[in-house]
Amino acid sequence: MLTLFGMSVVIFLLLRLAPGNIVDILFATGGYVSEADKQAIMKELGLDRPIWRQYVDWLGEIFTGNLGKSYRYDLPAWEVIRPLVPVTVELAILSTIIAVLLGVPTGVVSAVRQDTALDYALRVFSLAGLSMPSFWLGMVIILALVAWAGWIPPVTYVSPTTDFKIHAVQFLLPALAVGYRSSALITRITRSAMLEVLREDYIRTAWAKGQRGQAVIWGHALKNAMLPVITVIGIEFAFLIGGLVVTETVFNLPGVARFLVQAILWRDYPVVQNLVMFIAIVVVLSNLAVDLLYGWLDPRVRYGD
Amino acid sequence: MSRTRVAVALLVLALAVGLVAVSTPAIGQAPKSGGVLNIMQREDLPQGFSIHETATISTVWPAMPCLSNLVIFDPLKQQESMDTIIGELAEKWSWQDNYRNLVFFLRKNVTWHDGQPFTSKDVKYTFDMVREAPDATAKLRINPRKDWYANVEAIEAPDPHTVVFRLKRPQPSLLMMLASGYSPVYAAHVPVANYRTGCVGTGPFKVKEWKRGESVEYVKNTDYFIKGRPYLDGLRYLVIAERGTRFAALQSGRLDVAFPGEGTKTIAEQVTKAEPRIKVTIANQNVNDNLLLNATRPPFNDVRVRRAISLAIDRRAAVQAVHQGGAVVGAAMAPRPYGTWGLLEKDLNSLPGYGKPAEEKARARKLLAEAGFGPQNPLRIEMATRAIAIYLDFASFVINELKQVGVEATLKQIETAQWHPLATRKEYEAAPNLTGIGPDDPDANFYENYACGSPRNYTGYCSEEVMKLIDAQSQELDAKKRLALVWQIQKKLEEDAARPMIDWRLDYFMRWDHVKNLVPHQSIYNYGRMQEVWLDK
Repeated sequence: MLTLFGMSVVIFLLLRLAPGNIVDILFATGGYVSEADKQAIMKELGLDRPIWRQYVDWLGEIFTGNLGKSYRYDLPAWEVIRPLVPVTVELAILSTIIAVLLGVPTGVVSAVRQDTALDYALRVFSLAGLSMPSFWLGMVIILALVAWAGWIPPVTYVSPTTDFKIHAVQFLLPALAVGYRSSALITRITRSAMLEVLREDYIRTAWAKGQRGQAVIWGHALKNAMLPVITVIGIEFAFLIGGLVVTETVFNLPGVARFLVQAILWRDYPVVQNLVMFIAIVVVLSNLAVDLLYGWLDPRVRYGD
Repeated sequence: MSRTRVAVALLVLALAVGLVAVSTPAIGQAPKSGGVLNIMQREDLPQGFSIHETATISTVWPAMPCLSNLVIFDPLKQQESMDTIIGELAEKWSWQDNYRNLVFFLRKNVTWHDGQPFTSKDVKYTFDMVREAPDATAKLRINPRKDWYANVEAIEAPDPHTVVFRLKRPQPSLLMMLASGYSPVYAAHVPVANYRTGCVGTGPFKVKEWKRGESVEYVKNTDYFIKGRPYLDGLRYLVIAERGTRFAALQSGRLDVAFPGEGTKTIAEQVTKAEPRIKVTIANQNVNDNLLLNATRPPFNDVRVRRAISLAIDRRAAVQAVHQGGAVVGAAMAPRPYGTWGLLEKDLNSLPGYGKPAEEKARARKLLAEAGFGPQNPLRIEMATRAIAIYLDFASFVINELKQVGVEATLKQIETAQWHPLATRKEYEAAPNLTGIGPDDPDANFYENYACGSPRNYTGYCSEEVMKLIDAQSQELDAKKRLALVWQIQKKLEEDAARPMIDWRLDYFMRWDHVKNLVPHQSIYNYGRMQEVWLDK
């Protein structure tokens, strides 16, 4: 709660420190500014109130479940935000799954075959993932598709209930672009953690007792190497919730991150504040989930003793 | 008549018919009804469907199909002029009392999308609101075009189907401004704020759904007042923020039509090379690149310094460097053949910045020296511009040109939120800028951008002589005399470097070949109604 409170103060103040407000943007679309009209709109939107009052009112609104009204759309902020959340959460989950499915086995194989041609190839593969921004990869995918197949996925969101196949294609391509980048990080962490674990005495003992290679690597070594990997996965997932801006923009998916940027450009305070708070909550919750997973994976870690 | 003569006559007739068919392809084919047109939209609608509260194509383009004007430019004619204006909600109109009264006779049996009848009260309500008449019953939150109607003394609605615009003095241009996409009629029974979230219009299409940040969907208005129109069953505007994705969507057929003003020469060449079924029409955007020089304070309150800056910028080089040839040079009014009022080539060539670059730059250095600036005391200025690529490319070019005459300009990027407050308050020295003008009309342009005291006269240039000329052309009824006055004003503005005009942007408007009757006009703001468009597939 303390973290969220701190976040709320930071979000609120940073937004107000940015030059201009929604009224300036509204006048920008009209190509002129009238000071008298500007004051009237400021009053209409409640922007003439003291800053502290605006903050207290916002906190009050959060606690009563009323997220205020979008300045830009003149609609309840929740009504604007609600459809965005499932899109981003789905994309983040799908990307994380791809990242894990790609990153963990690659890291394990790379560690087990250390300093072989396969290890070098996999390290180059993961380094390429880290070097290529996901938006760039996304754009390359789009341009390659249009150039070679004359086809791109639909540019409007198709819900799974409308057409599951199209929906899957629509999400799979951006998830691959994002997942590849995240997998690179997971590969590297998995590899270094595995290398460390593989040199431990209990692994040597397992080998000495004649246990099967697969059982030693996947059963004993990987389980013990997973703690740092889980941390990275948790951080990556939390990052993806707010960090998919460009991928959502390139693939034209109506998610949280893309909308957040637009809301910031429009200084739509109620939407920005609540969206960033939503992201903050996801970050806090994913950290909590990672901590709980520690206890499950490593019996030495105990909570509440 | 001999057989040979008959054969020749028939051949000539066949050729003539063939020529007509080729030059007007849409007419040669019978329009087909049905289908949904997928249209490019570069950003979500600022201010929803409230066209009167914005000055951006991002609103006008997707909102036009919902609404109707009193009069409009013929959608099938690319060149806009007084002669191409046709009735929309007005069946006919008549100038009376030597162009002091403009009387509109409205169509009967027109209904709003919610079923309410359309009457003259709606027209009076709308334009009283826009001109901020003392007895107006509603107020716009933002009102960028109030000045267009400054000459309207009163609007009367003597009966439900007649409206009279009473003018303070003759002003033929009023009709041009009323024909712009910026001049729809709102419903008097609908609160003006509702247009920001939805749309009740009399237009050919009804809003089905606006998904914020995603799309706007329209369905055919089956009660549209023009029988047999629209041809399409619906329209779908797809918001795609990323330019690369936008054109990939067009190329792959996800979109049928591009966004006005978005097609550059380079993009058009790439797209049509990859997909020859996409057709390009080159049209004037009625958007120009100009240089704002703050005339209210030093150094640009000195006309010599302003003129030196204007001389230093090679207009033809700008067209090549900034637009790769996708623009044309011109003064304050859109150049010929795209515009009606543009200066003739010979007049243009005598203006600052159009001569031989070396000679023009030498003249610029001389003027700067006269004003007290030279190698020992170089003119140092801060060049403010909007932090958007299309502004920055242009600003970089200008800075480089100025460097060649010894002017040291530094670039200051201004965020969009701060741009118009800065320009309106004149808190800048020099600023490369883009200006879009609704109709190709001197009144719409001069009163907005050059009149003393206009909020969009960002430079603060104010000349009594020019104001007299602007008023004179506005009420001149003789077309030839008016044209001569408009030319005189343009020359004076360029000589005074009031707002040096660098070039006029061309639009390489793209559409698939199955899209018929969508004719881009010489202004991006006036052809979005879509009632004549049909799909040949």
